[in-house]
Amino acid sequence: MSKVQIAGPRGLMEEALEFLEEAGDFQTEAESTGLSEKDMERLRRPPAEGRAAAEKAVLDALRRKFHELLGCLPRAGEEGGPLEPSRAVRDLAGTVDGHLADCRMLLERKKALEKEAEDLRRHSPFLRTVGRLLEGVRESGHLEFVALSLRRPEDLPRVRELFSRMTKDRFELISERAPDGTEVLLAVLPREEAGAVRAALHEERLPELSFPSRFARMKLPEKVAYVTERLSQIRSEWETVNGELLIFSRRWRPVYREARDWLLGRLALLGAATSVFRTDMCFLLYGWMPSEDAEPLRVDLERRFGGAVVLREEEIREEDVDRVPVLLRNPPYFQPFELFTRLLPLPRYTSYDPTPFLGIFFPLFFGMMLGDAGYGLLLMGVSLWMAKRFRARPKVRAAFRILLVSALYAVVFGALYGEFLGGLGHNLFGLEPLWMSRREAVLPMLAFALAVGVFHVLFGLSLAFVTALRRGRGKEAAYRLFSVLAIAAATLFAASALGLLPELLQKPLLLTVLVLVPLMVITGGLLTPLELLKSIGNIISYARIMAIGLASVLLAYAANRLGGICGDIVVGILVGALLHAVNIVLGVFSPAIHSIRLHYVEFFGKFLEHGGKKFEPLHKPQEREAETWKKP
Amino acid sequence: MEEALMALAAALAVGVSALATAWAQSRIGAAGAGAVAEKPELTGTVIVLLAIPETMVILGFVVAAMILFAE
Repeated sequence: MSKVQIAGPRGLMEEALEFLEEAGDFQTEAESTGLSEKDMERLRRPPAEGRAAAEKAVLDALRRKFHELLGCLPRAGEEGGPLEPSRAVRDLAGTVDGHLADCRMLLERKKALEKEAEDLRRHSPFLRTVGRLLEGVRESGHLEFVALSLRRPEDLPRVRELFSRMTKDRFELISERAPDGTEVLLAVLPREEAGAVRAALHEERLPELSFPSRFARMKLPEKVAYVTERLSQIRSEWETVNGELLIFSRRWRPVYREARDWLLGRLALLGAATSVFRTDMCFLLYGWMPSEDAEPLRVDLERRFGGAVVLREEEIREEDVDRVPVLLRNPPYFQPFELFTRLLPLPRYTSYDPTPFLGIFFPLFFGMMLGDAGYGLLLMGVSLWMAKRFRARPKVRAAFRILLVSALYAVVFGALYGEFLGGLGHNLFGLEPLWMSRREAVLPMLAFALAVGVFHVLFGLSLAFVTALRRGRGKEAAYRLFSVLAIAAATLFAASALGLLPELLQKPLLLTVLVLVPLMVITGGLLTPLELLKSIGNIISYARIMAIGLASVLLAYAANRLGGICGDIVVGILVGALLHAVNIVLGVFSPAIHSIRLHYVEFFGKFLEHGGKKFEPLHKPQEREAETWKKP
Repeated sequence: MEEALMALAAALAVGVSALATAWAQSRIGAAGAGAVAEKPELTGTVIVLLAIPETMVILGFVVAAMILFAE
C-alpha cells in the first residue's frame, strides 16, 4: 500500500474526485497527513462543509424516496432515458411524492387482492367437494345443509351417531375425501333441528367450517358459487392492477433509476469532499492506494488534467503504520482461499496475508485426511459441476474451487495409500499402496502426521521471527529464534528416545533444550516455558490428520464389508453405496473443519496479528433495490 | 487377560475423552449459536472455539493407538 498526496487547482476539485471515483482504487484519509492541527483547521474551511452538509441532507432524502419507488415497481424498461440526470433530479423531486402515493396505493390494492384470494383458496378444496355432494341433493325450503370437514376420518361414526341421536334418524349424510386429504361431510336435516345440531357439534369440538364474514350468511349452495365467481373476479382485478403498474414502470422506472444512480454518485462525492483540504486557490487530498496502481493513476491524472492535478507518493511514517488499510490481493489460484481468510478479522498491515499459506497447506491436509482416490474423483466431478452451475455467485463458486483442489490432493494421497472407495480398488483392480496402507501402518501414519505438525508449527514460528526482525524488534526476534531451535531440539530428542534417531544424540539435544529455555525466559519473559509446552501441544494436535483419516478409511472398508455380506448383489450395492455416500459427506466436512482449525489455531496463532483496517476506495456506489414485487 | 485389559484401557482412553469433548462442545455450541445469531461476523471465531475441545478426543485416540499398536 502507498500513501499518496493529490493536489490541484480548487476549480478542478469535483472533477478530480469524480475521476478518482471512476478509477476506484483510492481511499481518502484526512488523518494521516502530517499537517499540524492548526494547519488542518485553517485548510478545512467550515462554511463550505456546511453547504455540503445541507445539500447532502436534501439529496439523501430524495435518494430514499427514489429507492422506495424503484423497489415497488416491477422490472420493465431498463434502458436509460435521454434526460440530463442533474436536471431530471430537480424535476423528479416535484413528482416523486405523487408517484410514490400512486404506487403505494396500487401495491396495497394488489396485496389486498392476493390476501382475499388466499383466504378463498383455503376453503376451495372443501367447497369443491361439497359442491359435488350438493349435485345429488334436491333443495327444499324445509331442509338445512350442514357441512363439516373432518381431519380424522375415524371420527365419522361418532358424527353419524350424533346426527342420529339429535334428529331421531331424520337426516341424510354423505361424505367424500377432499383433495387435501380431509373427509368432507354434507348432512341434510330438517330446518328446525339445525340449530340444536350445530350447538351439539360445537360442544363435541366438531364445528362447521367458518367462512369469511362476507359470505357467512349465505346458504351453502350460494357459498360454493360465490367462491368460484369471486376467485375469477380477483384474478381479473389483479391483472388490471398489474397492467397499471407495468405501464407506470415502463414509463418512469428508467428515469428514476438513472436519477437515483446520479444521486448516489453525487452523495459519494459530497462524502469524499469532506476529507479534502482546500484553500481559495487549490485542493489537497491525502489517502492510500495499492502501490502497483499509483504510477498508472499518476500518468492518467496528468493526461486527463494536462498536468494541473498531480499525484505524489509519500513515505509511510511509523505512526501511520496502524492506519494503513489492508487489501487482500492474490494470484488466481489463491483467490478462492480468501474465503477462509475473511472468516477471521483482517490481518494487520505489518503482518502476513495468510491466504497463500492456506492455499498451499489446506488442500494438502484435506487430501492427507480423506486420502481416497474414488472419493476424490467423485468430489472433483461434483465440484466442477457446481462451480459451473454457480458461476454467478462468487462465494459459492470459490468454495467449490477450493473443494476441487482439495479433491485433487485426495486422489494423489489415495494413490499413495492404495485406497479407491476403501478396499474396492484393491479387490477389483488389484490396486496396491504406492507408499503405505493407512489401515495397517497406524503408528507410522501417526509419526508422519506429527512430523507434518512439527514442520507447520516451526514454519509459523519462523514467520513470526522474520516479522519481528523486519520491524526491528531484536528481543522478540531472538525469542522467536530460540523457540524454533528449542522445539526442533525437543522434537529430535523425542525421535531419538523412540529409537528413530541414534541414542547418542539424546544428551546433546537435551543439553540444547536446557540451554535454550533460560535464554527464552530472558528474551520472552517468565511465561515462555509455558509457551513451549503450548507449542508441543499444538504439534500433537496434528495427530488428528491420522485419526480422521483412519476413521474415514475404516468406514469405507465397513461399507464394502456390509455390502458384501448382504447376500444379494442389488441390495449389497445399495447398502454399500449408501454407506459410501454417508462417508463422502463426512469426508468433506470433517477434514475441511479440522484442516481449517489446524490453520486458525495451531498455525496462525504463531505469527498472525489481527486487527487490520479494510481498504475502502472511493467508487461509484451500487444500491440494490428491495424486491417488493412478485412475478405474476 | 492382559489383552483384554489393554483393550479396556484403550476403550477408556477414547471413550472418556470423547465424553469430555462432547460435553465441552455442547456448551460451546449452545453459546456459539447464540453469539452467531446476534453477530454473524463471529462465525469464524465460533468454528475455531467449537473445534478446540476435539483435541481431547484426538489425544485419547493417540493414547489408545499407542496402547494397542506400540510394542
